[in-house]
Amino acid sequence: MSGIPSHANMNRSIAVRLAGTIAREGLFLLLAMVYILPVWWVVASALRPASSLYQYASPLTWRTFVPSSPTLSNIMGIFSKLDFGRAIANSALVSGAAVALGVVVNSMAGFALAKFEFPGRSLVFLAVLVAFIAPFDAIVIPLHLVVSRMGFLNTRAALVLPAVGNGLAIFLFKQFYEEIPSEIIEAARVDGASWFCTFWRIVMPMSIPAAATVVVMLFMFQWNSLFWPLVAAFSSKYRVVQTAIAMQITADEAHWAYLFASAAVGSLPPVALFLLLQKHYIRGIAGGGSRSETAGRDGVDR
Amino acid sequence: MFREPRAAIVFLAPALILLGLFRVLPAAVSVGESLMGLATPPTAASEAIGASINAGVGAAAGGPTRAFVGFSNYRHLFTSDPVFWGSARVTLAYSALASPVTVAVALGLAFLLKGSDRRRSLLRTACFLPSAISMSVVAVVWGLMLDPYYGLVNSLLRAIGLPPQPFLNSPRQALACLIAIAVWRNSGYWMMFFLAGMQGIPREAYEAAALDGASKSKQAWHITIPLLARTVSFVLVSNTAFNFLTFAPVFILTKGGPIRSTNVLVYESYKSAFIGLDMGRATAISSLVLAAVLLLSLAELRLTRPKHEY
Repeated sequence: MSGIPSHANMNRSIAVRLAGTIAREGLFLLLAMVYILPVWWVVASALRPASSLYQYASPLTWRTFVPSSPTLSNIMGIFSKLDFGRAIANSALVSGAAVALGVVVNSMAGFALAKFEFPGRSLVFLAVLVAFIAPFDAIVIPLHLVVSRMGFLNTRAALVLPAVGNGLAIFLFKQFYEEIPSEIIEAARVDGASWFCTFWRIVMPMSIPAAATVVVMLFMFQWNSLFWPLVAAFSSKYRVVQTAIAMQITADEAHWAYLFASAAVGSLPPVALFLLLQKHYIRGIAGGGSRSETAGRDGVDR
Repeated sequence: MFREPRAAIVFLAPALILLGLFRVLPAAVSVGESLMGLATPPTAASEAIGASINAGVGAAAGGPTRAFVGFSNYRHLFTSDPVFWGSARVTLAYSALASPVTVAVALGLAFLLKGSDRRRSLLRTACFLPSAISMSVVAVVWGLMLDPYYGLVNSLLRAIGLPPQPFLNSPRQALACLIAIAVWRNSGYWMMFFLAGMQGIPREAYEAAALDGASKSKQAWHITIPLLARTVSFVLVSNTAFNFLTFAPVFILTKGGPIRSTNVLVYESYKSAFIGLDMGRATAISSLVLAAVLLLSLAELRLTRPKHEY
């Protein structure tokens, strides 16, 4: 076919384009609804007076998603009645400790694997890879036996220490340090800096992009884990956010308003941290996970 | 590369000690403990033996005396434990369905949301957001949404004239609900891997195809999908391993029910350890799960060992 397209053809191609646009916009709308509405609904419900929760869940109206007389009473309630403040403080403490220790310990190991030649290096790297793939949730029950045998079950240390060493974090740091030219390190060494000083003053300050990924990863892992805290820190003194939430729904009479409020409040820190460090984090996981170098170079979120 | 083994050891030591104590040792303990069982009959003599063995690692159960029983925990699981088999079937069904569906949804999202306009980038964040929320919160939220009486989903069904569903209260629907919840939470996470993979495909490949007159859908099918095959298989395998370890939604929403229709292996192992107080059975199940996941992950390592070539 050549020459000027006929009217009918032109109309058809416009119709096809229009249909495509409508389909795409429809899909976008559907996606936004499916992924955002549940989250939105929880926040809206957390701000609703407890007495009117059921009224708006069913039947569905626009009021389901907009609280008509917003109140903070549920959020105050979880703090005053459920001791949620303690759970938040505990979670913040153990997550902060795990992140701080984790960044130092794993970056040191990653540095050794990237920049040192020593006997058994590939064996150690293999061990790290195995630790990276042996998932935490598969060993919770024997880990409980080990920690109890070591005598620190039901302490904060029981929550923190097992989460510090992380094979994936070591791997990400190693990948990152391999890109750093050894000359910089050599120069510091020639100037007489100790290895400790070189690492602390030269290497660590350059690690921020890798560290950002590891911070988000370790924080989300620690803040969001349920299974391990459930068996390792059962006393209410050490209760963390996730177990506090789980306890409410497994209680005989679940209090919806408090559930909404604690779900909303409990998700705030990891979501905020993620939004803050989103770019680094996504680059890190996508690049480190699929090992496609292009991901590391370009990132996803251009 | 620096040749100073002593410095290297100092840098490595903290991580290696922690990994050894909290990853490798528990895995070994799991296997060791799974070879232990109740010493029967509990006579005075066997109690003395049990006590001396209990001085080993397995004292935590604190229950009756325990002794080395070889593979009898495993034998028992395989030959006369229908609950275990049911649980294994549920776990397999869960991973076998959840993983491909998650990958398909994630791939679809990646195709739809690649690009740099503001709307797409906002939607990417929206889709990723559930992965930042803990599985327990996600489970709680969906539990409320799927409530048979007051839940949002049934309100929606009623609004468009469909009959309300029992969802998590039905042995036929509960597992499917858990799968849907997992897909909702994880698809955005894996979408990011596909987006990263797509960025690695050289633009020239598409330009050449476009010159040859290939349509967008043809380009997706003949260029993007084949060049993404490696990433797809990586995500599929690691997602399967991930799904094998599902615990939080089962613990929070269904307790393995109704009628054990969602009784996954990790939950069964938890019940065995902390409700049934049978550490032998619990660790035998843990060891089997660990072995299965390690096998899957070895496959994963093989898939990712060579650098990607586009």
